[in-house]
Parts: sequence; structure tokens; C-alpha cells
Amino acid sequence: MSIGRGVFRGHWITLRRFLLTFARDVRDGLALRRRGGGPLPVDLFRGPAPGQERVVVQDERTDGLFTVEYPDERLPVYERFRMLPVLIYDDEDGNVRCTSCNICAKVCPPQCIWMVQAKSPKGTVVPLSEEFFIDMDVCMNCGLCAEYCPFDAIKMDHNFELANAERHQTHVFDQRDLLVSSAYYAQTHPEAWASPEETTERAKVARKKDQRLRKALGARTGA
Amino acid sequence: MSSTPPIIRPEWITPIDPELQRELERCVLVTSWDKLLGMVDVVYNWGRRSSIWPLGFGLACCAIEMICTASSRFDLARFGAEVFRGSPRQADLMIVSGTVTKTMIPQIVRLYDQMPEPKYVMAMGACASGGGPFKEGYNVVSGIDKFLPVDIYVPGCPPTPQALINGIIALQKKIDGESLAVAPWYRDDVERDVPVPALGPDLVDLRTVELAAERTAAGLVERREESLEKPALIPAPRPGDDAPSAVEPGKKPARRPRRAVARPSAVWLGDEGLAALAGRLDAALGAGTAEIVHAGLLIPTDRLVAAALYLRDRDEIRFDYLASLQSVHYSDCIEVNYHLESTTRPGSMILLRARTDEAEGRGVVPSLYHVYRGADLQEREVFDMMGVRFDGHPGLTRILMWDGFAYHPLRKDYLEPYYEVPAKVFPSRIVEGRGLHFRSEELNPHGTNLKIPKAFHNWADLSGMDDPKGADAIPEGVQVEAIDSDQFMVSMGPQHPSTHGVFRMNVRVDGETVVGLKPVMGYLHRNHEKIGERNTFLMNMPFTDRLDYLTSMGNNFGYALAVEQLMGDEARPPERAEYIRVIMAELTRVASHMWSIGFLLNDLGAFFTPALYAIEERELILDLFEWASGSRMMCNYFRFGGVAADLPPGWLDRCRAIVETRLDRKIDELDAYLSGNEIMLDRTKGVGVLSAADAINYSTGGPVLRASGVAYDLRVAAPYGIYDRFAFEIPTGAAGDVYDRYWVRLQEMRESVRILKQAVREIPEGPILAGKKTYQIKVPAGEAYGRVENPKGELGYYLVSDGSATAYRYHVRSPSFINLTALEEMCLGGTIADVVGILGSLDIVLGEVDR
Repeated sequence: MSIGRGVFRGHWITLRRFLLTFARDVRDGLALRRRGGGPLPVDLFRGPAPGQERVVVQDERTDGLFTVEYPDERLPVYERFRMLPVLIYDDEDGNVRCTSCNICAKVCPPQCIWMVQAKSPKGTVVPLSEEFFIDMDVCMNCGLCAEYCPFDAIKMDHNFELANAERHQTHVFDQRDLLVSSAYYAQTHPEAWASPEETTERAKVARKKDQRLRKALGARTGA
Repeated sequence: MSSTPPIIRPEWITPIDPELQRELERCVLVTSWDKLLGMVDVVYNWGRRSSIWPLGFGLACCAIEMICTASSRFDLARFGAEVFRGSPRQADLMIVSGTVTKTMIPQIVRLYDQMPEPKYVMAMGACASGGGPFKEGYNVVSGIDKFLPVDIYVPGCPPTPQALINGIIALQKKIDGESLAVAPWYRDDVERDVPVPALGPDLVDLRTVELAAERTAAGLVERREESLEKPALIPAPRPGDDAPSAVEPGKKPARRPRRAVARPSAVWLGDEGLAALAGRLDAALGAGTAEIVHAGLLIPTDRLVAAALYLRDRDEIRFDYLASLQSVHYSDCIEVNYHLESTTRPGSMILLRARTDEAEGRGVVPSLYHVYRGADLQEREVFDMMGVRFDGHPGLTRILMWDGFAYHPLRKDYLEPYYEVPAKVFPSRIVEGRGLHFRSEELNPHGTNLKIPKAFHNWADLSGMDDPKGADAIPEGVQVEAIDSDQFMVSMGPQHPSTHGVFRMNVRVDGETVVGLKPVMGYLHRNHEKIGERNTFLMNMPFTDRLDYLTSMGNNFGYALAVEQLMGDEARPPERAEYIRVIMAELTRVASHMWSIGFLLNDLGAFFTPALYAIEERELILDLFEWASGSRMMCNYFRFGGVAADLPPGWLDRCRAIVETRLDRKIDELDAYLSGNEIMLDRTKGVGVLSAADAINYSTGGPVLRASGVAYDLRVAAPYGIYDRFAFEIPTGAAGDVYDRYWVRLQEMRESVRILKQAVREIPEGPILAGKKTYQIKVPAGEAYGRVENPKGELGYYLVSDGSATAYRYHVRSPSFINLTALEEMCLGGTIADVVGILGSLDIVLGEVDR
């Protein structure tokens, strides 16, 4: 009587998964809650507040139901996760880190980064970008720009919830769309922010700025 | 009071005193028509938004994420959208998931026209939105909105499943805002069908054909091209010229580029062996048969077939395996070259060169079709891309582009519609001082990715109903029209749930028995090689991710090896990087085989359930990839001489835990439930048999080759990286049928886990990149063929470098593509249902088939 046994064995997978899910929910204290529900013990119709969603980490111990109920639950966002590039300005003084050196545009594989270096009224080069565009319909999220930027000025953002109904006006990001604060970056990339490379780089830039400021002040008092 | 004018309905036309009307509205009617309709709208929209039925239709990499969205971890069913319909007539949402190519767009438009109203289109990913990274390619449509009205754009490359669900939610919001009163699909005056574009000398949008004809006749494209810098051609390597000047004299006279060590591949026959072999060839076929040119054998074309026969059958090393066949456009000739390998004495790779006329359409080389059947599709590809004819090839037609396409695109003198410069970086796209940015569409006089020779006149004959891609590929047999015959043709694909992507088969069946089969491909041809010849070496790394998008780490590995072969010792990866590479490559193999086995079962009729369980394990591996490299699928993690970044803290612990405690258990579970299942056995045992001799002769690779009993695995045959340090077996099958291919994959996963266990235990600390991290990579001039044992088979990268920042020639030997050569052989005599299973057991990925 071997014919047909496979059917019963197959059902056991489903049943076992059901039981495991239930056991896990009891273990996690989620047995009475709706998955992805609001904060109350029985909160059937309300989802969690934005930003308060439960982050579900799945690893080798995960058993039972595998589903992560986005948008009410979320997968963890890993720090290196790459979505679109952003430009960073420093919170303390509002300085945009980008010096318009063009390296990101030079390494960009599909060539979606375009910039124009700023010029002073005298015509000399200013280490700032006058204009900066990224065409996100061409960007392949490869992260080479962030990897090779010598000034930690361009980084890969984590925000993937970007679906919209129009592209011709909105999908070419200009400087205003691209700029985010260093505090935001520190929050999304805590490990990189605290890494020795970026800390020393920040200290170096701060020192340089300080020197420049002193020089400027000295010049004024001198005059 | 809303600003929209009230809708005039017949009932309201009855003259009525406005005073009375207001009174009635206030006291008797309670509500107005608008309000009433608004209430109906709520119900109407709720019903539609909660039961969106997407069309089961995937194009490229994004489709994999779309399938993940529908599978266990993300479960699109929670949004009422679980039923991916196979037929457009039952679907109301078209998720355009991936690169829209010119070859595919007629089918997409046709599917759209067949969908009943109300229907929605979602552009998933950068490619579908606006062309994406492949936009510059000659066969890529710059966004689906050039043809179809798009409702929602989901940015990302590829968007994660969560991002796609975000797009679905956005679509639901859009549906919520709609109103019955203004819905275009109930109005007679709105025509929503789109005319199917025609595949003529290029893709022609019939809505703007007059404009295209006018601009073509004016020769605007040619006039633009006159002012552009063209790619420079280098001469072919000659015997004795150890260091030919790679650039034209006068251009860069000061320094001759460094040359790489001349060798066809990292593991090969060796200089002495090659000299001896040339001697043997000369002795057997007369003097002057083989001339050593840069570690390759230059064979006169009239003796090519004889030489190949000698090498295959009579030489002491039996070169029975045609690993790769490609062509290079030099200034003085087109070189077709052949990488030959021996399965009985693996590691003795040689390179044959055959040269022919450079002028377009003049080159002829004898076909090796009858010596190595594996040359079949590859010769057709060379014909399509370079215009070289192969004498004796029985069905020499275009393979990736369509019959009637005006150009041979990989020739150096072919400039694409969006062509700007020979090598990146492109000139700026900012209109300075005005704060404006323009897209590449504006470079082309047609305003779109279009280029048609000035001489073209048959505009009136263009029709979207023609089928120039599949028309030639009629399998042999009696005439289709013969009434007294009960044979008929079935065109399966390119939109078919069981073809694993946009692959098409023209099948001739007699009743249910397959009597002929011709693969039709190119529906995802996105010009990887042409773009690769404009990219710097580093830029190409993320493009390789998108070849076989299920195994991006493996693709990175092969490409890194090819460039490292040219760079030599300065790019030797440090110890830790070597271990990381192996760990990533083997994790990829497990993930890819999990997917493959799940979907093989899908094809055999166990719809989606086994796949759901298999995909879970893949998801856990993708988590590891995302954690280390930043992306689930497009890892872009390897660099020349190492990897991009060290493993993050905690990564190895989780990897170790998954490898040590979970994967074996899950593989056993698959084994226990599937391997002995009687339906599985019935459907796979003895189906799609490929003998060992055929498997070799057809140049199949990977599990397909090994299932036929040939223990040929590059990790052992031509070890790369540090594979020689690990203990593992090469599982082989005996029967060469679908079951054995399944079984070999299952065993290979076990062996991969075995390698992984050793690697995660032994991985040392240390640096992860040789030399300084830089984007300016200096690659010496020379040729290289880097090959890895990817989950699908031998993945090879053939590079010709002229010492500049860009590859002169870049070719991918893709296992999925070449494995398809044997498809007809396996399917003949089977039933049409078997074809589905056999194709599933080949495990093709269209990104790699069509490149």
C-alpha cells in the first residue's frame, strides 16, 4: 500500500508548519495578537504607527510561518543595503560635503550622475557642485559612487518606498532632492559612521574648516 | 461644491425649475447623483483594489523579485493579488518586471491589448520605467511608457519585494481615487488599444511611422554620427609580434601598453604542450596548418574542419569539448576563435583562431557544426552579431536580433542610436547655467532609440502582425499547411509560465509527440557585450550581476578571474578574500539549485508548493548577501584582487549557523519528500535523455553534463581560487534524464554545504583586497578567458584588452545559452508536457541566454 502515502506525508508538512507557527507565537507572546496589528493585545483593525512596525529577523532558527507582513511588519534593513544615492551635508554648519570632484560620475556604470562645478564670480573653481542630477530611471543601485567617493559625500540611501505615478518630472533628482543631513546618515549607517575611516575623515575636514575660519577671522582683525 | 462640472444625464435634461430642483435635492432626493455615485464608487473600487489579478508575466531580473513577492516570505496574497494569471484575458494588472527589449515589445503590447478593461500597468524597476542601466543598448526600449500608459512606477534596480508591495499599495490608492463616472473604459470616445509596433530594420512605432520615415530619409542619424568619435580598431595579433602597438600610431605614441602573459586561460595546455600539439597538427595535416599566435593556434580556414576533426578524434589529447566560440572585430580581419577543452584530460584548454575578411557581410568561415554540435547556437550568434557566414551550418539565421534587423551590432563600426563616445565617461547631460538636465533620448534625431538606414523605403510594408523572430525557426518535417498531416506547430512563449522567462520554442507536434523543436531567443537581448565594450573594467562588474540574475556572486567571480588573469600577480586576492569568494560562490550554488528544484517541480505540476519551501532557504541566503554586499540579488561584491568590503560583524556567525544546522536538514527534507515521489518518478525517469557522448558534443555544462555521467566540474578540472583545498565529490548521474539532473543538483547542494562547512571553519582574518582601493584599474593588453563552474554550468568571460581602460572585446560564454543547443535532441519523441519538464531541468535564466 505505498500508492497514495505521499499525499498524507505531504499534508504532514503543512500541519507541522501550522503547529510550529502556533508554538512560536505562544513563545514570543504574540499568540493573541494579530500579526502586524496595532499595539493593543487585541488590535484587529489598526496597524502599527509608521516607524513602529515590528522588525522580523529570520535566521537559521526560523520555523513555522515564514511570512513577514509588510507593511505592518518589516524585514531588517541591513546597513549596507543600497537603494538610491543621496548627498550628505553636515548638520553643524550646513556644509555640503560634495566637492564636485566628479569621481562618482566617472565610476557610474550606466552614467546617471551629472554635475557642474561651482565657479566664483571671478571665474575660479569652487569645490562645490552648482548643479547635481541623478537619473533614477538609469541608476542601477550598484553603490560604486558611494564606494569610491573620497569625501564620504555620496552614500546609498535605504528608503525603498518610492513608488509613484509619474516619472518625467520626478525621477531625475536634483541637488535639493538628493541632500540629506549627516544626522540622517549617522542614523541609517551607524557602523560606517563610527568606523575609524569615516571618523578620521570627519576630524580632518573639521580641522581644515577650523583653520580656514581662523585664517578668515585673523584676516579680518588684521584689517 | 466641487470644481468638476456636473454630469449631464438624460433624467436631468427634463426642464425643471431650478428652485424646485434645489428643494427636491435638499428634502426628497437626500443626495445628488454625484454623491450617490461616490458611494457606489467606494464599493466598486474596494472590490477591484482588493482583488487585483496580475498577469503572470516576467521579463528579467525584476521578475525574480516579483515571484519572491508572490511566494511565502512576502505573500502578495495578503493584498488579494495572489492569482497570477497565465492569460491576459483574466488579468487586470500588468507588472512590467524588467528590461523591455525591442524584440519583446510587440508581444507586450499584444498582451496589453488582450487584457480586458479596467486594466493597469505597473513599471517595475529602472529598466521598465526608463530604460535603466541598459538604456544605451540598441535593443532596449527606453521605458515601457513609450508604448503603454503606466499607472505606477516602482523605482529600484531591482526593487525589493517590499518595494513592489509598496507599489501595489500605491496602485490600490490610485484605484480608491477612481470614479465610475469618469472611468475611461466606459466611454466610447476613448480608444485604449495600442497598435503593435513592427520589427522592421529597427523597432518602428506605427503611430509615428511618418515622422520616422521623414527623418530617416533626411539622413539625420547619419549626419549626427559623422561628427562623433568612432571606436578605434586594433590589428589582430600576429605571430612573433610580442607587443603590437595597440593604439593607432600618432595617437598615444609615448608608451606602449603593458602586455599580459599570453595564455588562453589560467589553466591550459602550456607553451610546450601547445608547441608539441602544433607539431602534431602540422605532421598530420601538412605543414602550415597550425601557427602559434599569442598562445593560440592560427588555422587557415580551409583546414579548420580537418584540424577540428583531428583534434577531436585522432590527437592523443582528445579535444572533445568546444568550451566557447566567439569572434573579435579587428582592423584587418574578423577573428573567430574557439576554446577547446578535453573532458578526458581536463585542464588542457587551447585556443584556435580562424580569420576572415573584415568587411561587413564578406566574412566566411567553415562551420564546425558537424564536428561540435555545441557550435550550433554560438555560430548563429556570431553570424547575427558580426555578420560572419558559416559555410555548412544548416540553419544559419539570426538568433538574438530578428531577421531583417539592419545591422550586425557587435561590429566596431556599428554605432547605436544613443551612441556618444567610444568609451565612458559620457559628455555632460546638463544644460549649463539653466539648471536643466536632458535624457539620452534627446541625443537621437528621432527622439527615441531608433536608427534605420537611409536607404530603407518599405515603410508601407511594416506591420505589427509579422513575426520576423520566429518565422524562420520552423522545425524540420512536413509542411505545416499539408491538410492530410496531423502534425502542427505550437509556438510556446515568449510569454509562457513554464519557459522560465521570455524564451520561446517553436514545437512541431504529431498528436502530442514532439517531432521537431527550435528554440527562439533574444527576447531579453539587452546588449550586455556591446555595453561592456564601452564600460571600464570596473563598471562592468555590476552589469555581470544581471547576466544570470540568480547567481550574481558567481558571475562576479568569473569576471574578476578574467580580469585578474590579465592583471597577473598584482591582483592576487589575499587569503581572506579567497575564502569569502568561495563562501559566496557556494552559497549562490545552494540558492540557485534551491530555486531550480522548486521550479522544476512547478513545471512538473506540483504548482508552487515545493517552490515555496525551497525559496525560503534561498531567502535566508539572500539575507546573508544583502547583509554583506548591500543587495539581495545584484551583489556587485567582487573586486579585482579581492572583494568590495569585509564581512560585517556577526555575519560569519549566522552563516555558520545556517550552514551547520539548517541547510543539510532542509536538503534532506526536499530529498525525503521529492526523490521517491511516484508522480515525480513517473514524470522524470527516462524523460529527456541525453547520452554522455551527446552531452559533451553539444557542449552542455554543469549539472546537465554531469547528469549524463561526465564527471567534469571546473572546480576540479581547472581549479580556480582556492578550490583545490577543499574536499568534495562531483556527483554524477547515469541515465542523463530529467530525474538525474534533479538528483545531481540535490547532491551538489550537499557538496556545497560540505565546502561551506570547511570554508567557514578555516577562514582567516586579514585584508580583503590586494593593493590600494582604486577605481582606475590598469589592465595590460592581451587576451583572457576566465571561467568558473557556475550553478548552471561553465560560465566564461572572454576579454580582449588593448591596454586602455575599456575592454576591446568582451564576450560571455553563458552556460544557459549553450545548454539550450541540446534541447531539441532531448525533447524529440517526448510529449509536449515533457518539454516543459525538460526545459525546467535545464534550468535556464534568460538574462544569461540572451545577454
